[in-house]
Amino acid sequence: MAEPLSTTGAEEWTGQDVTVAQIEWQLRELRADSMDLRTNVLTHLAWVPPTWQKAARETLAGLAERHPSRTILLFPQDEERDALDAEVSLQCFARPELEGHICSEVIELRLCGGLRSAPASVVLPLLLPDLPVFLRWRGRPDFGGRAFEDLMDVVDRLVVDSREWEDGPGGSGELERCFERVAVSDIAWTCTLRWRREVAKLWPELAGLRNLHVRGPRAEAALLAGWLRARLGRDVELQHEEAKAIDLVAVDGREVVAREERMSSSDLLSHELDRFSRDPVYEAAVTAKPA
Amino acid sequence: MLVIFGASGDLTRRKLFPALYALAVRHLLPEPFAVLGSARSPMSTDEFRKDMEEAVKQYARDEFKPEVWEELASATFYVPTEFENDQGENRIAQKLEELDQERGTQGNRLYYLAVPPSAIATLVREIGERRSTSGWARLIVEKPFGRDLKSARALNREIREYFREREVFRIDHYLGKETVQNMLALRFANGIFEPLWSRQYVDHVQITVAETLGIEGRAGFYEQAGASRDIFQNHLLQLVALTAMEPPIDFDADAVRNEKVKVLRATELEASVRGQYGPGYVDGKWVPGYRDEEGVDPESTTETYVAAKLRIENWRWADTPFYVRTGKRLARRETTIAVQFERAPHPLFVHADGLRPNVLAIHVQPDEGVSLGIGVKVPGQGMTVRTVNMDFLYGGAFRTGLPEAYERLILDALRGDPTLFTRADEIEEQWRLVDEMHRRWAREGTPDFPNYDAGTWGPEAADELLIRDGRRWRSH
Repeated sequence: MAEPLSTTGAEEWTGQDVTVAQIEWQLRELRADSMDLRTNVLTHLAWVPPTWQKAARETLAGLAERHPSRTILLFPQDEERDALDAEVSLQCFARPELEGHICSEVIELRLCGGLRSAPASVVLPLLLPDLPVFLRWRGRPDFGGRAFEDLMDVVDRLVVDSREWEDGPGGSGELERCFERVAVSDIAWTCTLRWRREVAKLWPELAGLRNLHVRGPRAEAALLAGWLRARLGRDVELQHEEAKAIDLVAVDGREVVAREERMSSSDLLSHELDRFSRDPVYEAAVTAKPA
Repeated sequence: MLVIFGASGDLTRRKLFPALYALAVRHLLPEPFAVLGSARSPMSTDEFRKDMEEAVKQYARDEFKPEVWEELASATFYVPTEFENDQGENRIAQKLEELDQERGTQGNRLYYLAVPPSAIATLVREIGERRSTSGWARLIVEKPFGRDLKSARALNREIREYFREREVFRIDHYLGKETVQNMLALRFANGIFEPLWSRQYVDHVQITVAETLGIEGRAGFYEQAGASRDIFQNHLLQLVALTAMEPPIDFDADAVRNEKVKVLRATELEASVRGQYGPGYVDGKWVPGYRDEEGVDPESTTETYVAAKLRIENWRWADTPFYVRTGKRLARRETTIAVQFERAPHPLFVHADGLRPNVLAIHVQPDEGVSLGIGVKVPGQGMTVRTVNMDFLYGGAFRTGLPEAYERLILDALRGDPTLFTRADEIEEQWRLVDEMHRRWAREGTPDFPNYDAGTWGPEAADELLIRDGRRWRSH
């Protein structure tokens, strides 16, 4: 992980019922006022329903200096007025080896009325040219919903955390229908990485595996089981006990020990933002169903 | 003396007087100098000055300075006239002579024809027949210059009856934009780009002139013009010419324009797509479809979008397509020339999912500047490669505001430098391509309009234009 950088301050502008042109103008003003280094590697969108706002902001706080980007936080609002409220800020981070700072632009948009279902019309003018667009959808994606479909036409990669859903990633088959449209990342999948590494070490004994016992979040357990089904090419019975994080994985009664890795929500999202192409192993794990 | 015909129009208020004011602020107007406005609207000189003062306060890029305005206002005059009327023209000629005496402008005239296309030929004749025998005379003609090759040729013939080519300044305000001129600097002042600027290293070029605006009350004009005549014929093809032209031997007007004409002559239309917008969200606001705009025929078949694949049949560009597009009510306001280079010949890096082709993008507007997408190693133990953008922003590098295109162009015309104006043969080459496009459209029949939603990047057929070549439009 990169050395933490100190935040040197943020300049910001807030407006109610604004236009995209006003936001663009404010961005230009903020940039023009800053002599700092500005480079970008991606546009990071986040769809953040009200219950996820606090978590999204906390994640973002630890992310900006690692992924110089334009971050656009989309907050759908339960207000009927057709309006766009915005907060634009330039967050700069000092690097001891550089005279200037590295700056990232953060745009918070509150979408009211009809805009809740047409977010792309606001997002498209604000995307950085020629750079990939990542969408972190907080909570269960509204598959087939207008806002979700609208944004899927804009982004290169969808980042979800299937631990945030009741039915997990493969349950309804809706997530797998996205695979042909955009690359998909799942933070829950990343959380299983250390366990997958240890389980894989059991090869070739693993070839005869019948039963997988996981104590942890439903989504992670389902992904581990799906992974084994897809790799072994046959069914694996899953025995699941609910827990906040995986603390037990056993294959045919044999407990697997994995080294503990503490990753913050920012670390986890940061990991996903480093990936660009489709992950066929993940896709197979989601798609593999129990017999 | 600057003589503006059509002085009561929007162009004079929004662009010409704000530009004159900016030149006055910087002491760039010649001495002596005067402006004579003329239009059908009955108005006194005082009323005209008041109107222009408001326009300057509203649209000028500089802070309003009363002392600067007073000086410009004192040199500003107005004569109402009917252009087709000999008496009206005589009245203007008489006023010009008076002003020559009062202001010492010595018979030097820059005529700015900010009038509808239908009025241009008559005005040229009226002006030409009354050319002053002393001083110089120049003519600025606004676009659209004709509506097809035949009418453009006829207009050129009419103009040549009274004016020499070096006295004619056919304006395409895009050429006055700093970033468009920077294309010449980028290409010909840097040793690193020109060797790469050819079919050997360039995969293709994309030029986008995208607007989020609709027709803004100009239904009468737009219904007749459409995107092909409004933007494609002039702005887009000029950008193609500047991107593709050979290096001129110097920066003389004819040297530059010779090269532009050569490349336009080598340009052929391979395929084109047209579109018309339906309703949708643009910049977060719901907007009506084109056919629902005020003054537009509800069954209109006017195109609000054009995309084309152009081939440039010369040594430098053979087999390297130029994809161009323009439209109204698109997803974002953007004018960009994007030169996409060939990928590295051998995929050396396994972890290069994030590596995109190198793109040199010249951002004409907004965010004026240049960006170059390059692959770099992601810090860490592995060898992961991804694309980052190196950005040069005019606003960040130079702490002065960019001049408006009209400032540069008016000043060049006052100085007699036509480099940034379009020559007769350029205009005719541009219309040749548009005529070819219209001929094909007539054969194909009108698509099922509307065929794209406002706030999107245009019709699906435009995407297919690139997809069948294994490419895609830059969408963000």
